[in-house]
Amino acid sequence: MSDTQCHGRVLLLGLDFGSTTSSVLISYARPERGNQGTVLRCNVQDVVYRPAPVFTPFSEHGIDAAALGALLDGWLAEAGIDASQVFAGGALVTGLAAQQSNAQAIAALISERLGEQLLANAGEPALESWLAFMGGSAALSRLEPDCDVLNLDIGGGTTNPALGRDGQVLSSGCYDIGARHLRFVPGSYRLSGLSPQGKRLLLQLGLPARCGDTLSHDAVAQVTAVYVRALEALVSDAGLPPAWRWLGTLPLQLSRQGPRRITFSGGVGELLYAHSATGDWPETSCYGDLGVALAQAIARSPVLSRDLHSHCPPQRGRATVCGLALNSSEVSGASLFLPQPSCLPLRNLPVLGTLRAGQTPQALRQVLALADSCQSGVCFQYDFGCGQAMPGLAQIRCAAAALAEALKGRELAAQQPLVLLLRQNAGKVFGNYVTDWGRSHRALVVIDEVAAREARFVHIGRSHRGMVPVSYFGL
Amino acid sequence: MYKLKDPDSIPVPEFKRSGPYTVRLLDRQFSFRDLNHLLGAADFSKAGDRGAGLSASGEVEREAARSVLSGLTLQHLYDHPPCDGQGRIDSVMRVNYDIDLSVFAGIAALSLGELKDLCLRSPAARLREIGSAMTGVMVAALTKLLDVHELILLAKRLKQGADTRARTRLGLPGTLSSRLQPNHPTDDPDAMTRLIHTGLSMGSGDALIGLNPAIDTVESISRALHHIDQVRRETGAPTQICVLAHIKTQLACLQRGAPVEILFQSLAGTEATLTGEFDVTVALLDEAYEVIHRDGPLAGEGANLMYFETGQGSEYSYAKHNNLDMTCCEALCYGLARRYRPFMVNNVTGFIGPETHLNNTEMTLANLQDHFMGKFMGLAMGMAPCFTLHSEVTIEGQQMATGLLTAAGANFFMDVYLGIDRMLAYFDTSGHDDQTLREVHGLRTAPEYEDWAVSRGIFVRDEDGGVQRRPNWGNPDIFAPSALAAKRLQEAVPAHYGADNAGPRPANAVTRLARINQAIAREAIYTDLRAGEFAGLDLRRADTAARSKAEHLADPELGARLSADAAAALAAEHRDVQIVVSDGLSAEAVHHNLHELLPVLQDGLDSRGYTRGRTLLAPCGRVKLAESVGELLRPRLVIMLIGERPGGDALASRSLSAYLAYRLERGEEQQAAAAVSGNPAIAYEYSVISNIYPSGLPPAEAGSVIAEKAMQILERGAAGNRLEQVLAGAPA
Repeated sequence: MSDTQCHGRVLLLGLDFGSTTSSVLISYARPERGNQGTVLRCNVQDVVYRPAPVFTPFSEHGIDAAALGALLDGWLAEAGIDASQVFAGGALVTGLAAQQSNAQAIAALISERLGEQLLANAGEPALESWLAFMGGSAALSRLEPDCDVLNLDIGGGTTNPALGRDGQVLSSGCYDIGARHLRFVPGSYRLSGLSPQGKRLLLQLGLPARCGDTLSHDAVAQVTAVYVRALEALVSDAGLPPAWRWLGTLPLQLSRQGPRRITFSGGVGELLYAHSATGDWPETSCYGDLGVALAQAIARSPVLSRDLHSHCPPQRGRATVCGLALNSSEVSGASLFLPQPSCLPLRNLPVLGTLRAGQTPQALRQVLALADSCQSGVCFQYDFGCGQAMPGLAQIRCAAAALAEALKGRELAAQQPLVLLLRQNAGKVFGNYVTDWGRSHRALVVIDEVAAREARFVHIGRSHRGMVPVSYFGL
Repeated sequence: MYKLKDPDSIPVPEFKRSGPYTVRLLDRQFSFRDLNHLLGAADFSKAGDRGAGLSASGEVEREAARSVLSGLTLQHLYDHPPCDGQGRIDSVMRVNYDIDLSVFAGIAALSLGELKDLCLRSPAARLREIGSAMTGVMVAALTKLLDVHELILLAKRLKQGADTRARTRLGLPGTLSSRLQPNHPTDDPDAMTRLIHTGLSMGSGDALIGLNPAIDTVESISRALHHIDQVRRETGAPTQICVLAHIKTQLACLQRGAPVEILFQSLAGTEATLTGEFDVTVALLDEAYEVIHRDGPLAGEGANLMYFETGQGSEYSYAKHNNLDMTCCEALCYGLARRYRPFMVNNVTGFIGPETHLNNTEMTLANLQDHFMGKFMGLAMGMAPCFTLHSEVTIEGQQMATGLLTAAGANFFMDVYLGIDRMLAYFDTSGHDDQTLREVHGLRTAPEYEDWAVSRGIFVRDEDGGVQRRPNWGNPDIFAPSALAAKRLQEAVPAHYGADNAGPRPANAVTRLARINQAIAREAIYTDLRAGEFAGLDLRRADTAARSKAEHLADPELGARLSADAAAALAAEHRDVQIVVSDGLSAEAVHHNLHELLPVLQDGLDSRGYTRGRTLLAPCGRVKLAESVGELLRPRLVIMLIGERPGGDALASRSLSAYLAYRLERGEEQQAAAAVSGNPAIAYEYSVISNIYPSGLPPAEAGSVIAEKAMQILERGAAGNRLEQVLAGAPA
């Protein structure tokens, strides 16, 4: 596979290391211009590699780093790619895996192994919810733009709900509801492991079981009933019963009326949609956890199962890995102000605030002063104050003159780039006027056609045919 | 598989000079220099032939030519094969002489007038026998004697017993089939799927599902073939598929196992065009014929596995018509096509534009001629009476042509959704048109396909044996796994103005949207450049040789050079950059972009200290005007800002392009450019920045992009592919 075979397509990679299983997806995508700027589109035919999920390798001390490294190498070898070909993507350590002591170190290991184009993160629930929605339900939600979609990403350790409308996430949350808080010997309900949350749950139900004990079907039903009631409360914005509020580690704020569809992702989501398509369930506890029992309980709930047949997301539950591949990055426009492309990629740039057209040079200087304490590059969003509309030439020249004035006396060192993010397709012309056509402030970078987001950090990947991937995190 | 005759074994007479031919009508003497000029003058007047200097000056001269032609025998035409520019009988002409000599012996002594009468008196089988004994030139000569009724009558008669067979049969009496054309600007699979579903739900695509690809590579074409094959299998529609890439690409795809069911190639009536422009030889076509009949997925199942496209004027548009008129060149295509017993031949006369067919009459007459000629030479002719917005052909003219061609028994039309091709920016027939014509003329689809369409609730057979639409007609959702999936697919289709139908026609609201977009796009072409709007931009005017919009549209060459007066007023200035602004094919593109683009571009160039001449405003210009200006003013770089040819989208009709023409002085740069281009005489290298309009590349941003590209060109001393190689680190 060579670059010349891509024909304008870019290669994306998504990795999801969850509480139970780990998945990978490698796909081509085509950058296409739409009303909202450039978006990546891909079809089933574009998927290069998508093997069956494998169990996440755990050891006594957390995630088994050596086994994980071998897993990564094996995937890449089978797919026939090397990391340098990847345009963008993400790797996420989620659920119980993210709660392991070495999760951050693992995220760093993945990042190091797969190159700088990838966004690797561990234990950021809001990001996980967002990606799950974008990977599975965003396309569906765009088809009914007047209807909210609430996606429940139910994995081994957590349920990450995200409420969205017309393809955009409005709010997200995180709950300790998952299939793997109780682990069993596969094919039975004999307990082989309990998470702290699992222990607490059993205690609260008056079921003081320990490893080696076999739970009765009734006991399992009591556990899944708690989860289902909590999910029903979540969906209907009723709030969790006081006794179970501890399940909500990051409660979801719905506060919206109107029609709402419910979709699922994660391992339990996959089970639900597979059942919906075939009518079959796998053998109870065949995965050694509560997944099948929980999926069955959800399917019996009229509240939760109402949209299962009519609103199946395109990826049938395997949302997170698709979300990582497709949506961990936005794609910039193709005409950026980038005098020194070699300055990319730029990782972990703090997003310090927003500069606005119409501000005086003095006001702009005050905002720019936030960068003074930063040793490396910084990023600001730039707002022309005209929404999505393109500013006129006079407005661009005026705004550029004010910013140029504000930058006077401020040396931008090559290793400390100042990155501006614009919504409109005006990066090159704005950057050229600010820098007097590249004669000053050569460390200025203007990336255009990216949406403004409330994020603390941004990662900007290398340029491909004039475009760059932009990933926000610390949402 | 039919065994092809070795071209060298085909007897062809030596070239002999023909003419002059003279005739006196009342008191006027008419003289025609040679057979080429006689044939040209005998034809209906068409823009391409007028441009080539072959048309008659008026009706009397045309009738004089027809009078002379009527008296020439077939033997005379046989003995005088037109030659190419080097006095040679080219390979296309040679193949045309592969005729049934025993039949020819029986008709050789007939004059063309006698032959015409014989044809009008003959049944279908005898007509086909006569056609098999005639070269393309002979058929073209006969055609020039036929009026509209005769062209329709004879073609209709030829529909009997001339069907072809692949997975389905094509051309059976009582049928009107269609080729479903799911084109998309980037070959998007979802858009293709939706367009295929839509067409199939309308009973379209029984002749073929055929994509004109945007990207002609083995990988991309293979992917498209596999995708279309999968969609066809999922729907169960009995038809055949094709991706209309270059024949070499398709053969490579077939070798890799892609489902190349029908092998396609565009043909031309002169070897100079066929080989020089299309990169195809008779030997290659021979090889392809053998491969597809031996290794293709339908080998054994279908007797006819090739598909050709032709259209009057392609040879003339490349100036490689060997001084033959457009009808003759077209007939020579058919003489080549019949060698391979194709499944279908599609005629796209009208596609090129007003330089070959100016208006409805010229397009319609040419279509009727082509249809008859193809049928007479034994081909399964389908027709695509089509147009571009810069011609005077209208949708009403196209519809009238389609009605006449249906009466003449055309085997198939195109199904381009709502008539708007989303990739090729032209207008063709739609699935709505095809169904309407089937209903008007009591026709039906291919029988195998009809069975399937009945089973899917698209059609129903009534008590009288006729076929009626059912509720599923025109509802593509019947093929999608869910309503939401259908909606997702539909979102991928550009210029989709709605799916509502009223009987076999689009609902009025849908038609109005499509027509409004088309009207605005067409207006952009015919709007004159309003120079007064640019008073603040310091432009100097320089007229091209096209004195009016009509001249500009009819003859592309006029817009490629300055008028004598304008040229005389300019002298070498030797600046770094000369900017030229022209409306090209959309004045609105200039009106809506120049105010924001030009100041940015000039600021950028000035920032680097480049000298630039005062910007020229040249109404009615073409891209090549850059070179005419370049030779006069002698700048290093000409930046040509020019309006692009509009398609069917109102906003995109305001799209401007920038052609950056780097003038190559003799020396190292020119030698390097010659090595990269393969053209030893190359004088200009071009870089292009296109799609400049507010919803595409906004004009202010475009000004900056063009300025940076100009800086790269001037700094590196290269443009086009050579510049990209230099920027990528390769030696220039």
